[in-house]
Amino acid sequence: MQISVIVALTLLVLTAFGFLIGRRRALAARGASGGRLHSLPNYYGYYIALWTGGPALIVLALYGAMGAGLVNTLAMTQLEREAAPLIAEFERQLDNDAAYRALLAQAADAELDAMEAREAIALARDAGLDPQDFQSELARQTTRLTETGAQLDARRGEIVRDVAARAPSTDAGIRARAGFEYWISPNERRELFLADARAIAFGAGLASRNTPELRAAALAMRPVEDVFRYSAAGLALALAVGGLAWARSRVRGAFRARNRVEAVISGLLMLASVIAILTTLGIVFSLLFESLRFFAAIDWRLHEFLLGLQWSPQIAIRADQIGQSGAFGAVPLFAGTALITLIAMLVAVPVGLFSAIYMSEYATPRVRAVAKPVLEVLAGVPTVVYGFFALLTVGPFLRDAALFLGYEDAVTQSALSAGLVMGVMIIPFISSLSDDVINAVPQTLRDGAYAMGATKSEAIRHVVLPAALPGVVGAILLGMSRAIGETMIVVMAAGQGANLTANPLESVTTITVQIVTLLTGDQEFDSSKTLAAFALGLVLFTLTLMLNIIALRVVQRFRERYE
Amino acid sequence: MNRPASIRSAVEARLARRHRSEQRFRFFGVAAISLAVAFLALLVGSIIIQSIPALTTWRVTLDVELERSLIDPRGDMSEASLRRGGYSAAIQTALRRQFPDMETREELRDLFGLYSAVNAARLLNQVVENPSLVGQTVSFTFPIDDAANLYLQGATVRESTAPGPAPLLVTPGEDETVTLAADIAVFDAFMDEARAVARARVRELEQRASRAEAALSEAIDRDIRAVYESEARRARTAAGQLLERLDEGAALVLDAQTPSLLIKAGGAVIRVTEISADRAQAAGEIVISGDAPGGLMADWTLWTLETPQAGRRVSDRQIILTDALRERGLAQSGFNTELFTYADSREPEIAGVLGALIGSVLTMFVTMLLAVPIGVGAAIYLEEFAPKNRITDFIEVNINNLAAVPSIVFGLLGLAVFINTFGMPRSAPIVGGVVLALMTLPTVIISSRAALKAVPPSIREAALGVGASKTQAVFHHVLPLAAPGILTGSIIGLAQALGETAPLLMIGMVAFIADAPTLGLSGFTEPSTVMPVQIFLWSSAAERAFEARTAAAILVLLILMMSLNAVAIYLRRRFERRW
Amino acid sequence: MAHDTHPAPSTVYHPAPPGMDTKIAARDLTVRYGGALALDRVHIDMPGRAVTACIGPSGCGKSTFLRCINRMNDTIDTARVTGSIRIDGEEVNDRSIDPVLLRARVGMVFQKPNPFPKSIYENVAYGPRIHGLAAGKDELDAIVETSLTKAGLWKEVADRLHQPGTSLSGGQQQRLVIARAIAVNPEVILMDEPCSALDPIATARIEELIDELRENYALIIVTHSMAQAARVSQMTAFFHLGALVEYGPTEEIFTNPRDQRTQDYITGRFG
Ligand SMILES: Nc1ncnc2c1ncn2[C@@H]1O[C@H](COP(=O)(O)OP(=O)(O)O)[C@@H](O)[C@H]1O
Ligand SMILES: [Mg+2]
Repeated sequence: MQISVIVALTLLVLTAFGFLIGRRRALAARGASGGRLHSLPNYYGYYIALWTGGPALIVLALYGAMGAGLVNTLAMTQLEREAAPLIAEFERQLDNDAAYRALLAQAADAELDAMEAREAIALARDAGLDPQDFQSELARQTTRLTETGAQLDARRGEIVRDVAARAPSTDAGIRARAGFEYWISPNERRELFLADARAIAFGAGLASRNTPELRAAALAMRPVEDVFRYSAAGLALALAVGGLAWARSRVRGAFRARNRVEAVISGLLMLASVIAILTTLGIVFSLLFESLRFFAAIDWRLHEFLLGLQWSPQIAIRADQIGQSGAFGAVPLFAGTALITLIAMLVAVPVGLFSAIYMSEYATPRVRAVAKPVLEVLAGVPTVVYGFFALLTVGPFLRDAALFLGYEDAVTQSALSAGLVMGVMIIPFISSLSDDVINAVPQTLRDGAYAMGATKSEAIRHVVLPAALPGVVGAILLGMSRAIGETMIVVMAAGQGANLTANPLESVTTITVQIVTLLTGDQEFDSSKTLAAFALGLVLFTLTLMLNIIALRVVQRFRERYE
Repeated sequence: MNRPASIRSAVEARLARRHRSEQRFRFFGVAAISLAVAFLALLVGSIIIQSIPALTTWRVTLDVELERSLIDPRGDMSEASLRRGGYSAAIQTALRRQFPDMETREELRDLFGLYSAVNAARLLNQVVENPSLVGQTVSFTFPIDDAANLYLQGATVRESTAPGPAPLLVTPGEDETVTLAADIAVFDAFMDEARAVARARVRELEQRASRAEAALSEAIDRDIRAVYESEARRARTAAGQLLERLDEGAALVLDAQTPSLLIKAGGAVIRVTEISADRAQAAGEIVISGDAPGGLMADWTLWTLETPQAGRRVSDRQIILTDALRERGLAQSGFNTELFTYADSREPEIAGVLGALIGSVLTMFVTMLLAVPIGVGAAIYLEEFAPKNRITDFIEVNINNLAAVPSIVFGLLGLAVFINTFGMPRSAPIVGGVVLALMTLPTVIISSRAALKAVPPSIREAALGVGASKTQAVFHHVLPLAAPGILTGSIIGLAQALGETAPLLMIGMVAFIADAPTLGLSGFTEPSTVMPVQIFLWSSAAERAFEARTAAAILVLLILMMSLNAVAIYLRRRFERRW
Repeated sequence: MAHDTHPAPSTVYHPAPPGMDTKIAARDLTVRYGGALALDRVHIDMPGRAVTACIGPSGCGKSTFLRCINRMNDTIDTARVTGSIRIDGEEVNDRSIDPVLLRARVGMVFQKPNPFPKSIYENVAYGPRIHGLAAGKDELDAIVETSLTKAGLWKEVADRLHQPGTSLSGGQQQRLVIARAIAVNPEVILMDEPCSALDPIATARIEELIDELRENYALIIVTHSMAQAARVSQMTAFFHLGALVEYGPTEEIFTNPRDQRTQDYITGRFG
């Protein structure tokens, strides 16, 4: 604690000192030679200050970001190594424990039953039935699962205690126990363990417990931490002093201090623009990486994922079922996405396009003053609000209408209600992009058409729209990419059932809905279900990226033509 | 060659048709705009209407006696002791004092169901803050249970009252039962209605049964079949039982499937359990005894609850109790401040948006801190410094594409990179803020570039002409002029991020979080939720009362976003400059 | 009316050539854009089967005047036209006149060539198509061919009729636009600086074309080139600050201008 404050203060002083020295030297250089400086004196100050503070700050930042983690890892690896015999003993006992294995089987059973109940609830909801019975069944299974889990934990705890008791209460024994406790803990417990040990070791914060094991861990951390801390502090100070001396030696009257300082600034600016690239790379790599793991989990039967007709990831809950065929066939998702996108575009394209035409060609300024804000507000409404609207207003209305017209199987969550509302969401998108494009068509073309005796609508249909066509197509493609990637409306209003249907009155599911379903629940990260979500994400990303690239190209070409 | 006359007639021949098609085309345009306006009106209108029930709430105020032995069990007035006090019991005692008739377990369950135990925590805090209250009687106000609240708002139960048409002879029997008799068929109207409701209900039950049977024939799984079977059987039996009661010549037994009939006379309330075939006599039970009913009553009220008990979440008894509370002036309606002062809760009456609001503020703070400087920096670089080459072209294309990447993909990025690789905490505003910042970045960059582009080159040339360096020209001259545009773009980007839900679901911000996060440094890593996610969570909650709260939360969010956008528009108008 | 507050601008009229038949007659023609006066009480009689040139400095209202003849000013929201303009005695500004029909009778060619985003063939066929002037494909083909021939473009494009009109050179595009205008066989053709975006060779071809068209149509052209006006026109009108200053046979205007402003302008002293 103290040492970091001292180092920080020293750095601050050194940096300020560097600035002053820079200025002084610059002024002195001017006085001595009576000549001109290349830059304003302040820039010499900035230059030296940058060299003094910059590298040292980077070292300190690195230490701050990673130092604690490194110290923990080093210390705990050492302790775990000492705990190796305990760990081996524990694994042996666990394998040979009949009670534990029976409980495991029971838990798996309960989980499966719970899964089935959950599916039954969804089915019952879709069928418009009261899912109460399934819900109580689910509750029963969940309780059973929790109880079995508790029993499992208890049994495991017993074995752990049993094993730990074998280590002698000597220093070495306690260290081994500490390593064992750490090894045995799940992730969040490990974090707590580390936090407590750090609290004991360095007095940073309050420890929630204080056991001999924690004290042993703390004791193991201290020397490692000291080494890191002092070397980081030393390095930072050395860099500061070195940078100061070096930069000072370079400052002369003719030295281009300003250029150097500005180079740093533009370097930082460039870094900012590189972040956009890094984001793209991050997306591509994380999606690719997790997807590859998923494909490996389904034995590289890629065709089954892309062409399979059966989507029921719930089946694949147990390890032996992951590779089972037919669980991850994504075609129903693609079909659902396509159906909803189609409905959305059927709403959005005509309404959006005609709005744009009316706004740019017909509307009086007064109409425009009303209509434009309306469209902007529609564009600004959060999608979760559209989802709520679809779920509580449009969905029930469409269901009642369908029932009234004699369609018996009507449900609230249907492709039609999700698609309609999504269409409304996309209207302003299409209309504002098309509006831009239509306005970019030169007036001389319109004048040409009018001069030939065309009516307004003829001028628009025969001349303006054909001229604007590429741009309009681009707008529609961008709108489609929006529709495909839209999540909340479909999550709330389209349903969950993976139906392979073209009937817009049935509930369908989409790529985005399944990503959400697979990832919002308590799951460990490696289960094939979570990985499947990333594979779907990859498909979604690729699809929308292609649409975007084509659309942006087309629009770009259009703009170039009329500029 | 010249043939004006024929051309003229040829053109004239088609003119009418062409003008009609012009009219049609124009009509399509008007229709499209009107449709968009109508959609918006419908959207906003329906949300406002749905939110109305959540804008007010009914609260009960009781005099609660903080008995020393109950509140301070250890008797040492220490905080630990006070925290163990039986506050819930104290409130329950106060409720019982209001309704001494409530004695059996069932009756008490209905009575205590009018408030949720979470309210006791507030009483506890009051006492811990001010221990001198112990031993005194305090006036304590709490929101009434959501089901009773909806009843009081008239949203869930259809009811009607009518004066008793003829004097009624009330004869108390044993064990709180009474028999009622009149000279004429005073229960005529009710009987007819009850039978009509029962008939409709039978139809509904039969439909349900046949639907279950249809589903049964399609079900594959054994367990699911069993459940469908039981569903069908239950519906059939219930329908059968109801049918029996439709016999015109028989007495009508009232139960959960039929409308309920209550008799108010003096201060007493009687719940009718059976009506004789001649419609002049009935049996009932006393729910509130008031001044001991008995004898011939001339002045009494028929109180019909048309919605059967099976179709509502408040029992007859709770309705009677609630109504009594209202009549005694103990239950009062007021503006729903709970909506803003409470965080999320499983009990709708004390579920509020405070936690989500704080979560949104924290998240937006992180987003702003990252997206604005980085976005503006990138825009400055690309617009002012970057050489025109393949790399900067690539960056540009990349940014444009990034702006059109679905938001959920950013959520996947956050999950894979920040949570699983960097081990940042789930559900935390810091992670949400970073993810939203990455999502908003392209918007900020694009609008900042547009603002920079709008500054005429003459300004740069002038600055460069007097010997400023490129950096000085940009930071001293161009940037200040572009600032309003940049600010506007950034605010619009932030407003977008404020309404975003999907990526936050990916990083675990969907958890139910009952405590509002700290509005401070430590809040950034505490689990929290944000406004749109709260809306999503509430919209899928089962209780009917959450529906209105969701709509109210949407209004809050919309107002927030509108004010952000209004600020942006104001800035644009105020500082807009054209060259 | 605001223009009543100051005296009407006086115009010098040279005697009309003997036997001139009046095709277009304007009386008190006034145009305002919003509040700004662009054309002030113009009084003029223009012949058929001849070329009338409108000259004058930029912003003097030449284009505005031209656009009155086919009511193109209707497409500008702020434009207000008062006074009278007649073609063959028929009032153009009358409400009963349909601008669609009027524009079929009065063709117009603009400063910048503006072929539609369609093929060469479709550009020329556009007018006959929307007005229903051709009974069948053959007739349409014939109209396209004669129009392109008259515009002197047929030989150059006969083998690529279905390529986009924008693929032609600037001069060719302008001739294409002229062919498009004459395809509906109008009575009057208005040309607003038709050569100002073209090189000298293309300009020469257009001038030739104008000279040929004179035999069948009344042509009114706006030009900034004195030489061009002198070469192609029979009558010349000189506008200045929204007023018609001097009007008469081209030869007289150029050799013997009676108004000082006309003299100054044609000798290049301003403009
Ligand atoms: N659409 C318009 N809106 C407002 N003023 C215009 C418009 N078109 C032309 N004007 C004004 O009317 C006057 C005459 O313009 P114009 O007829 O185009 O001149 P010319 O063609 O002789 O150069 C000018 O002062 C010009 O500024
Ligand atoms: Mg002009």
